[in-house]
Amino acid sequence: MKQKKEYMDLTQYAVDQAMKAGADAADAFVTDSQKVEIFSGNRSVESVNASSDAGVGIRILKDQKMIFASNNDLSKEAIKEMVTDLMKKVPFHTPDEFNVIYGKEFGVLEGDWSNYKDLLSYDPKITEVPVEDKIKKAVTLETSGLDHSPKIAGAMYVLYTDQATMAYLANSNGISGWYPTGYCGGYAQFSAADGDERQSGTQIQIGANYDDFDPVQVGKMAAEKAIQMLGAKPIKSCEVPMVVSPEIGVDLLTYIVGMLSADPVQKGKSLFAGKIGESVASGNISLIDDGKLKGGLATQPVDGEGVPRQTTPLIADGVLKNYLYDCYNAKKGETISTGNRMRGTYQSAGGIGNTNLYLKPGNVKPEEIIAGIKDGFYLSVAFGLHAGINNVTGDFSLPVAGFKIANGQMTFPIRGVTIGGNLFDFLKSVDRIGDDLTWVQSTGCPTFSVESIKIGGVCLLRRPSHHQPPMC
Amino acid sequence: MNSKKKRRELSRRQFLGRSAAGVTALGFSSTLLNTLLLHTGCKTGAQATDLIVPEDVLKKAVELLMAKGADFGEVFAERSAFDTLMSDDRKINTTTLIEKGVGVRGVKEGKTFYAYTASFEPDEIYKTAQFVADAAAQGIVGETALIVDMARQTSDLSFPIVPHPDETAADKKIEMVQGLTERAWSADERVNQVSQYFQEIMRQINIATSSGKIINQLVGRTLFYALTYMKDKDGNLQMGMDSRGAYAGMDFFTGENSFEVVVDKSVERAKKLLSAIDSPRGMFPVVLGPGGTGVLFHESCGHGMEADLVFKGSNYKDQIGKQTAAKGVTLIDDGTLPELAGSFAFDDEGTPSQRTVLVNDGIQENYLCDLIWAAKLGIKSTGSGRRQSFRYPPIPRMRNTFIDGGDVPPEDIIANTKKGIYVAQTGGGGEVDVITGNFMMGVGEAYLIEDGKITSPIKGATLSGMGINAMKTIDLVGNDLVVFPGAGMCGKGQSVPTGFGMPTIRVRGIMVGGPGEAWDDVEGGAK
Repeated sequence: MKQKKEYMDLTQYAVDQAMKAGADAADAFVTDSQKVEIFSGNRSVESVNASSDAGVGIRILKDQKMIFASNNDLSKEAIKEMVTDLMKKVPFHTPDEFNVIYGKEFGVLEGDWSNYKDLLSYDPKITEVPVEDKIKKAVTLETSGLDHSPKIAGAMYVLYTDQATMAYLANSNGISGWYPTGYCGGYAQFSAADGDERQSGTQIQIGANYDDFDPVQVGKMAAEKAIQMLGAKPIKSCEVPMVVSPEIGVDLLTYIVGMLSADPVQKGKSLFAGKIGESVASGNISLIDDGKLKGGLATQPVDGEGVPRQTTPLIADGVLKNYLYDCYNAKKGETISTGNRMRGTYQSAGGIGNTNLYLKPGNVKPEEIIAGIKDGFYLSVAFGLHAGINNVTGDFSLPVAGFKIANGQMTFPIRGVTIGGNLFDFLKSVDRIGDDLTWVQSTGCPTFSVESIKIGGVCLLRRPSHHQPPMC
Repeated sequence: MNSKKKRRELSRRQFLGRSAAGVTALGFSSTLLNTLLLHTGCKTGAQATDLIVPEDVLKKAVELLMAKGADFGEVFAERSAFDTLMSDDRKINTTTLIEKGVGVRGVKEGKTFYAYTASFEPDEIYKTAQFVADAAAQGIVGETALIVDMARQTSDLSFPIVPHPDETAADKKIEMVQGLTERAWSADERVNQVSQYFQEIMRQINIATSSGKIINQLVGRTLFYALTYMKDKDGNLQMGMDSRGAYAGMDFFTGENSFEVVVDKSVERAKKLLSAIDSPRGMFPVVLGPGGTGVLFHESCGHGMEADLVFKGSNYKDQIGKQTAAKGVTLIDDGTLPELAGSFAFDDEGTPSQRTVLVNDGIQENYLCDLIWAAKLGIKSTGSGRRQSFRYPPIPRMRNTFIDGGDVPPEDIIANTKKGIYVAQTGGGGEVDVITGNFMMGVGEAYLIEDGKITSPIKGATLSGMGINAMKTIDLVGNDLVVFPGAGMCGKGQSVPTGFGMPTIRVRGIMVGGPGEAWDDVEGGAK
């Protein structure tokens, strides 16, 4: 996939048209993507969707009012029409003194952005490798799981996916440039069977480099996870120490960082509001958003507004240090943008999001953390986080699965229980952090433990009886 | 159409004509929507007239697609406009997304080959069709060029969008949402933030299939979400939410579905959450109120009945003719219901929509099939082949899924439950593992049931368990079925609108998670 000069020119054309039509400021964002999605089923390719997509998104600022539209028609006529439409509608918007098109106040990345090799997450191989090779990876992902053990009963979702995107940005304040991004990887879900019992196991690996994706390993790990859950049973309600696997840690971090975005903070929707400088987590917790991390999947030279990417400590030794900002929220909060305007495709004006986010690892081995627990729970599967975590209050209640820890050893698998609590309290009760920082896409977390968690247990279900009286 | 609706429409037009001269023609994405309006005579469903891509181009594309030995396939052309009006922090912003493209699918021996182009130029469409034909051929060269006779399909189903989004000026819509935002702010002094979201979607779709069908339909949707945040003196923060979504225009939003009712409900829910006690946890009777709560069975059971997942070994595999729910429980997936977001005249591979009985009086009767998986399972398509847009191949999906009404008055269900909870609104969505049947669903509005009466509001509850167990432990089915016009979207790699419903029901085999006390040994709880 190559850079297209005509797309760079098109962003400038769109900005010029907007200024000619009377805009105070404007920016235009073109993305040009190639995507492949291959499902494998029955040890053979089930579906191939190979596609390419390009379009433009235009933001116009007029009298402190901001408006956005996008279109996948890249003709000059279509862009002219869009600008005309936007200028007609913008007067009806609410003026907001903090609306802004980036004007270099937080620095600029000089020269050609795509030359900053350390700030790119892009492997040209993703678009060079023939589809047949990728089909092989998808099928290998399936067969390696199916062949892992006779206990494996089947595959549910087995998917290879990749995408390469060229992004072009220009604005009326002289920001202009382009950079490539990309990812590739796979996802697999297998079922393991023992008699009538069925258990499932999933594994995902998404990275920047084509050769790093190892379908054999991912398939085997997903299958092994399903097998390990065979024989799982519920336990009784209790309050015990809990060890959290890095994968579930990553899931939890993505909810926490959502509450650290300046947008909900400034609008009174986050309980982290007004707590800068206060202790919000136990002293061993440091949470960092690093937009420049070498090799990070979310690494890019600039953010969606053209602000150079930065490294932002959010929580340092348990103390809240900063929120994530884009230009609008920075102006509103009288501070600087942290370069966190995320803009994935031309279809969106974007919003604040994390880049490469990670919990700083500690120096104990994960096995040592488990060894130190007499009676506890190892959390390896959590369900429906988007529904079970209240991102306003931090309250959570999640059906989970994992393993019983007895006398420092992982023992039998557990399913059919819930854990409950509050994320803010949870952060304060983290006692040990492992040295095994593990990345799942662009979020990283080591194994860690909390002093105590409320487990809602249950007795085994009795077979439903039809002779039961209809009323309780 | 009833006369009341007609009068409303007339008065709205007259009003616009008088008061907003000069801007009446200014819809959000006026260009595209006007084009759609002109070309289709404002009809929706299968009655739209002019095709996006000329019939001879569609025909030639299908012939190219089928020339190298594909078993079947279709060309899917679409143009769409998504207009969104957001009110957040008392500020109004709009966004417009305009998309067009042509997707081509070829199926060979059950394998799907898919590609699309953003262009409507005949040569680009032919190139895409040839690319897919080559991919599907896999080295096999077809012998003869297929000549397909094309016939336009019609349907008795019609989903009018009244008024057309273009008939209401953009500034009027902004004014309306500003008013609704202020309505929430002024409802209670503890309100500390209001977010609202109004969206109009218009999609014109042409499908030309290798079986010779040509379909032209206009699919439209109007959505409204209201989120109200409240903070009390002690710093407790809660959010209340309500929404509506319909395959209809703004005239749909009257009575119980009016924008004002949605806003007021979001305020009321936030208020209740501030005074709510922590939900108890454990296994005890759960009474689910009628309507959108039906999403619980969409999630916990419906997905496992989608033919692709059945074929691969979901927990509903090999269950036809077997008991998968309590006697008296009937689960239906219906794509023909007027005004509901999961309805359509034809599915996205050209099969007429239908009402599919999945579970009949406790017995599994059918699965949800598209063409590919119907063939693999040796049954018929149920008209359930859906796709998010021209960018995706169709896969089996739900439409409007609901448990059919029973005969117990809802009051009796509550009166006969000694101790348990009453869930009036699920919230935050859910998730299912179709292999084990394990599901999880969030709860928005719920209460304790004590001695047969609904008492304190509760917060932090979640529902989880096994889909089949939940269905088998339904012991009371109310006579108050509501298929709710929610704004729900369902994700399965692709996102499509779906509807949910059910009457008031009582279930015993669901686990309630919550931050409150553990309730063990409750009468009627599963052991």
